[in-house]
Formats: sequence, structure tokens, C-alpha cells
Amino acid sequence: MSATLALPRRKLAPTAWRRPGWPVALLLPLAGLLTWLVATRAGWLTPAILPAPAEVWATLAELWQSGDLQSHALWSMGRVAQGFGIGAAAGLALGAAMAVSPRVDDYLRPSFLAIAQVPVIGWVPLLMLPLGIGEALKVVIIAKAALVPVTINTQAGIRAVPRGFVEVAGAFRYSRSQLLRHVVLPAAIPPIFTGIRYGLTSCWKALVAVELLASAEGLGFLLVWGRQMFQMDLVVAGIVVIAAVGFVFDGTLALLERRLQRWRTA
Amino acid sequence: MIPLPRRLAIATATASLFAPRILRAQTRVVRIGFASIGAGNRQFTGGSPIAASHAEGWLERDLTDERGLQIQWSFFAGAGPAVNEALANNQLDFALQGDLPAVIGRANGLRTKLILANGVNNPIYLATPPDSTITHPRDLRGKTVAWHRGTNLHLAIAKVLAANNLTERDLRVINLDFAASDAALASRNIDAAFSSPVLFGLQRRGLAKIVYSTKGDKPGFARHSHLLVQEAFESANRELTGRIVNSFVRSSDWASKEENREELFQIWAKSGHSLENFREDFEGLPLAFRNGPLLDAFLQGQYRIQAEQALEHRLVRRQIDTASWFDTAYLDAALRDLGLQNRWQRRDAEGREISA
Amino acid sequence: MSARFWRGLTPPLLVLAVWQGAGLAGMTDPRLIPPPAEVAATAWRVLTDPAIFLALGASLGRCLAGFAIGGGLGLVFGLLCGLSRPADRLLGPSFHALKNVAIFAWIPLIAMWFGFGEQARIAFIALAAFTPVVLNTWEGVAGTQRQLLEVGAALRFRPWQRLARIRLPAAMPSLMTGVQLGLMHAWLATVGAEYFLAKGTGLGGVLIEGRDTFDMALVLLGVLLLGGVGLALSQVARLGGARLAPWRGDLV
Repeated sequence: MSATLALPRRKLAPTAWRRPGWPVALLLPLAGLLTWLVATRAGWLTPAILPAPAEVWATLAELWQSGDLQSHALWSMGRVAQGFGIGAAAGLALGAAMAVSPRVDDYLRPSFLAIAQVPVIGWVPLLMLPLGIGEALKVVIIAKAALVPVTINTQAGIRAVPRGFVEVAGAFRYSRSQLLRHVVLPAAIPPIFTGIRYGLTSCWKALVAVELLASAEGLGFLLVWGRQMFQMDLVVAGIVVIAAVGFVFDGTLALLERRLQRWRTA
Repeated sequence: MIPLPRRLAIATATASLFAPRILRAQTRVVRIGFASIGAGNRQFTGGSPIAASHAEGWLERDLTDERGLQIQWSFFAGAGPAVNEALANNQLDFALQGDLPAVIGRANGLRTKLILANGVNNPIYLATPPDSTITHPRDLRGKTVAWHRGTNLHLAIAKVLAANNLTERDLRVINLDFAASDAALASRNIDAAFSSPVLFGLQRRGLAKIVYSTKGDKPGFARHSHLLVQEAFESANRELTGRIVNSFVRSSDWASKEENREELFQIWAKSGHSLENFREDFEGLPLAFRNGPLLDAFLQGQYRIQAEQALEHRLVRRQIDTASWFDTAYLDAALRDLGLQNRWQRRDAEGREISA
Repeated sequence: MSARFWRGLTPPLLVLAVWQGAGLAGMTDPRLIPPPAEVAATAWRVLTDPAIFLALGASLGRCLAGFAIGGGLGLVFGLLCGLSRPADRLLGPSFHALKNVAIFAWIPLIAMWFGFGEQARIAFIALAAFTPVVLNTWEGVAGTQRQLLEVGAALRFRPWQRLARIRLPAAMPSLMTGVQLGLMHAWLATVGAEYFLAKGTGLGGVLIEGRDTFDMALVLLGVLLLGGVGLALSQVARLGGARLAPWRGDLV
């Protein structure tokens, strides 16, 4: 049977790349910038804690010109890309397995949840023993950060597919794989992608934790170093760059999700 | 005519309504922060006279007659940087910090005064895995070495390396905090680590060996800590500052007496760091050498050098004037009051002892 | 003890067996990886000291307080962005940019506004719980199926009826996922808060002390305790979720 099922499409989830929305998108950041300027001038903030925007801009320019910014950013992006790739892939597989097979879920879920809730400072001494203190340790910790949300959202997303859909597909005598490809996955894409996008966000957050513990380069290191040297303009510069780069990565994922949805509609 | 007992009752009732406000108006809070914390976040620390003063309540004892005074002690896991933030936010009046973090704070606009030394001439230690061939800093060329950059140790290490014709670039430097460098050393992920007396714990368990210490080496290799006060608080509370310094000098005196050595270590052990670590750290030198409160020419010179080196190593971005940072008036007054002017050995800028 | 319970116990038991076996075979250095017996002895010492229950209470208290605040705010924000196009376009991009910044980076600002006491720690935890709740709520509410909304239009539902009768129930699975993730990250952030903004007592102290004194048995105990309590929290949340959304579709 090759007839495709005309299932109700879920409305597209809002993404970060709404094309006509650029001017509106910048409204809030600009308002924030203005507040920041006013607050600095009026002396509402401690300058040592939150320096003036001009200072932060100067620091960013300096970092860019010296090439340090690009170098730090590349280090971090590389780590995030590797960790995210591994963690998200593993999460998809694990989440799908746990959703489809209740046996697997019974075996793995408690251990998974327990492991997921041990923080980075607990993992570092233990993982240091087999992995050393180099890139492997950092990538593994970042991968773990992506694994958790991707697994949970994938499992929840697949589980949440209404039984009605499955029954209708049964009436059409879909095979297991057809069921998965034409019914389950399209319905589960929004929550799965929510998990994937949050997985990437978690990777960026874990990056800072990891570069805090054992690093001499990277955007997270810049943040930590800035704080240690009481040079908050470095910290703010680091925040700005991480937010910007993270936004671009996240937006790419959102775009991918829309493409995937559109393809499915065909 | 209201009978007297009634009048008294009304008067008392009215007064008690206002009492909280009066009491609150009279309560002064003095906020003291340590740039260190005990093991497992215990609210104690060790290694200096003022740490002992907190642990034993000596300051509270000396100030019991101050009406409405409350002393708040805080311990910062984020060490020097966190203390700098709290000073900038006006959340602290006094701080106990190491030389470099305070220099960094001053370079970034904190307005403070150094009024007392609190833990000086502190050595740093170099440790390696037990079977390593490294025996001295000069053997570190090309090796993987860890230390906590930007802390007190950083400049001391730079000086040690320079004395052995090495710079950071000649080594592979990894930035690890004390706990992480312990783990890295024990698991042999690094060739060597510069660290604090926590290394003694590793050595005792055979997981590392300490091959070099700046103890007994050039005086300039040591690192120092102090008590500082916010300028704003000091100018508004001169008398109180004087009494606080007085109490701390008494603590320094107690902590400099050899007969108190073991008891001192036991007090410091309340921080959860092992007593043996303190014992081994302080072995071979008189307590007065490390626990004296003096801000003599040597110490002031050392801080000037720290400021210069911090600029050289790009740890700060402007020059700092250290000469006007020190205010020895309170210390001098306390020494006079307690008759301890000649108690501790003064040294000149080169580290030579000055005869009294 | 159901079969499910035993199946869940299998991986930990396997790990325990490997751990003990490796120790006996001399493959691991007991100073770096203490044998289970040593960890058990340390556990006995720590758990029979009543201070641990104070620590557990303190940690749970701040975790739940932070989760309630961060999760509550996250719910509101997620609903706002999911239901209102203008809000989505105004607030969305900034949120999607700032969500990538580690909470560690916000500590100086948190310290400036909240000091370094319990309030600061709860603020830290609330920040951590905020993001996952927002993302899942947003996606859940915005993705309501068109057919369901058409039914609402046919029945001439007023907007708030649409919200209460259609969108929220349909969004429940996503909301529950968001709450679960939010709680997990709140628990992770609790230890983070105890590490960076250390004052008072907390369960993280076991792990932190193990790290500070390089007592690997204590580190392992800390890991087990934190993971175990986290697991318990997740199970409680799951039971609560099952009560609230029993109609959750299950392929199972």
C-alpha cells in the first residue's frame, strides 16, 4: 500500500528566523543597550561589575584585531560541534529506543536519570582517570550535556503521538518502518527539535563549565579569565560573542526544522 | 488622674513599640570577608592569625563592650575575584586577601587601604608523581605543568621560573585549580604542579612527591596576604577600625608564640583541611616569621614589585601606585598600646633584618 | 518488587560487579578508585551523622524554591511567546541568543543584585530552570493542531476558552517534559550554586569536600547521593505529571 496518509499537520513552531521580523527582533536588544547606557551614566550600576558599553565595544574591537577572538571562538565552536554531534546522535538513538521498547526503558531509565543529574564537578575527577585532561574530556562532558535533553524530548515526543494516528495507520496496514517514517516522526518532529535545540544550548553552557576547569583557550576561558582578572568588560564581551554565535547555530537548527516540516508536507 | 502603675504600664508599652526601631538604629554591622573557605564549604578557614581569631571568637570577645555591634564573617569560594566583586558592590567592609588579587582589585578602581599583614612569607610547593625524574624547577623545560593562573601563586611561580632561566612559554602550562591539579597529579595526567599545602595530603598517601619549595629560598619568592578596609568605611569608623586592628594584633601575637604551635594548628583544622598539612607547611620556621602583622619596608616593597610584575604579565592594564595604599597608623597605634613595638623582626626593602 | 524495578536495577548492579571485580583483579589503583567496601564505609560515616539531613533539606529547599520561581516565570514567558505573535517576534530572538550563556557568567550580576546569600543561590537555580520550561511550553502551545483549533472555532469558543479547553491540554505532554527538564537542571544548578556561591550547608558539600581533600571515596559517595536524590526527584515529578495529564497518548 503506497497511499500516504493525509494527517493533520502541526502548526509550525515559532523559530528564530522569521524573515520580516528583523527590525522588531532588534527592538529589545536596543532597548537593553539604551538602559545599560543610561544606567552607567546615572551611576546606578557598579562600573567594576558592569562596565560601560563603550568599554566593552573597545575590548571586542581589540580582541578582533589581535585575532584572539577568532582563535578563541574557533576553539569553542569546534568543541561544541564535536560534543553536540556525538551527544545529539546518541540521544536520538537512546530516546527512540526507550520510547519504542518499554523493556529498554525499564532497564535504562533509572540509571539514565541518575547519571543525568550529577553535575560536571562530579564527573571531572572520575572521567579524568580514563580520559586525561585534554580535548577528549571536554568533548565527552559537552556530549553528555546534549544527550540528556535530546533523549528526554525524543522519548516524550515519540510517546506523545496520539494513539489515533497509529490506529489509522494500522487500518492502512503500514509496516513498522512506514509507521515510523510517515506517522510517528513527522508528528514528533517539533518536540524532538525542541530537544535538539535545547541540547545545543546545553552544550554552550557546558562549554563554559568545561573551559573553567582545565583550559587556556576558548570563549568560556575568556569569560573565566575575565572574571578572575576582575576585567568585567572581558566577561561581557564573552557573553555577547557566545550569545551571538549560539544564536546563529540555534537559528540554523530552526531553519533545518522548518525545511524538514515543509518536506514532509509534500 | 491616672494612677502611677497605669502610667508606668502605658509608658513601658509605648516605649516597647519603639524599641525595635531604636535597637535597629543602634545596631552596626561590620562585614569581614575571607578570600578562602574550608573544605566542603565549611565556614572556617586556616593559615593566618585572623582565621584563628574568627574560629575562636577573639574579635567578638575584644569588642563585647561595643553596644549594638554585629560582626558578619563571610567566606568566598570564588577566592580573590569574588571578594573583589563583593568589595565593588559595597557588600564588605574588611577583606582578607592575597597580594595579587588585591592588586588586581586596586587596578580596577577599588578604593581600599592595607592596614595589617595577615599571613606573610607563604611558600609555594612544586610536586610531581612519585616516580618522576624532575627534582627541581630547572627540570621543567618542555614539561606539562599545572597551576591556578591569576592567583597569588602565579607571580611567585613566574619569579621562580625566571630565576631558573625559564618562562611560561618553555613549559606546557595547564590552568587547574587546587582540587583539579590534585586529581591530575594523582592520575598522572600532568608532569608537575605548583600548588599550596594541600599537596602534603597527596604526598602522605604516596600519590605525589614534593620536590621543591620556596621555603628557605629567596625572600622575594614568597607570597603574602593582608587585611584591607574600604576607604569609605574607614573614614567613617576610625575608632572602630582602630579597635579591630588592636584585636587582630593581639591574635597575631598569640599566633606567633611557639608554645601555641600545636593549638594553633588545631584551631586551623576546624576548616576541614588536615592538621598535618598545616604542620608540614609551617615546619622549620618560627611562627612569628609567618604570623606577624608588620607592614615593614620589605612587605611594602614586595607589593610594589607585585604590582609591577602584574602589569608586565598583563594581569592588569594600568600601573598602580602602592605607596599610598598602605596605612600603618592603626598598626603603629596598636603596637604602641600593646607594647609590642619590638615583638616582630622588621626587614628592609632587600629583606635584610633591621636591628631594632 | 515488580519486574520493572529489578530491570531498572540491572545496570547499577552490573557496574558494581565490574567495579568490585576490577578492584580485586588489581586493575584499578585503590587510591584513585576506592573499592565499593570503602565507599560503603564512608557512606556509613557520612549518613549516620545527622548533619547530612540538614544538608539534604537545605539543598532540596533551595532547589524547589528556585525551580518554582524559574519554572513559574518560564511557564508565563513560554505561554506569552507561544500564544502571541508580537511577543514572539519581540522577545523571541533576544531569548534565543541569551539562552546560550552559561549561568556562571551571570554570577557577577546576581551577586550585585542579590548579594551572596541564599537569595543569590535561589536566583541562580531559577535561571537554570527557566530556559527548558520556556522552550517546551512555547513549543507545546504554539504547535496545537489546526484541527483541534477548528473544532474550537466551530464551537465558537472565546479566546480564553480556546486556551483553557484546547491549547493547554494539548500542550500538556510538552509542558510535562519542560517541567521534568527544568527540575533536572534546577537540581544540577543547586550543586553549582553551592559550589560558586558557597555558604551554609548543602548536599553538594559532600562532593566538594571530596574534591578539596582528594578523598575519592567521598567524591564517589557525593556522586551517588546527588544522582540518587535527583532520580528520586524525577520519579516524584513523573508521578505528579501522570496525575495531571493522564490522557497523554502512549504508543506503549
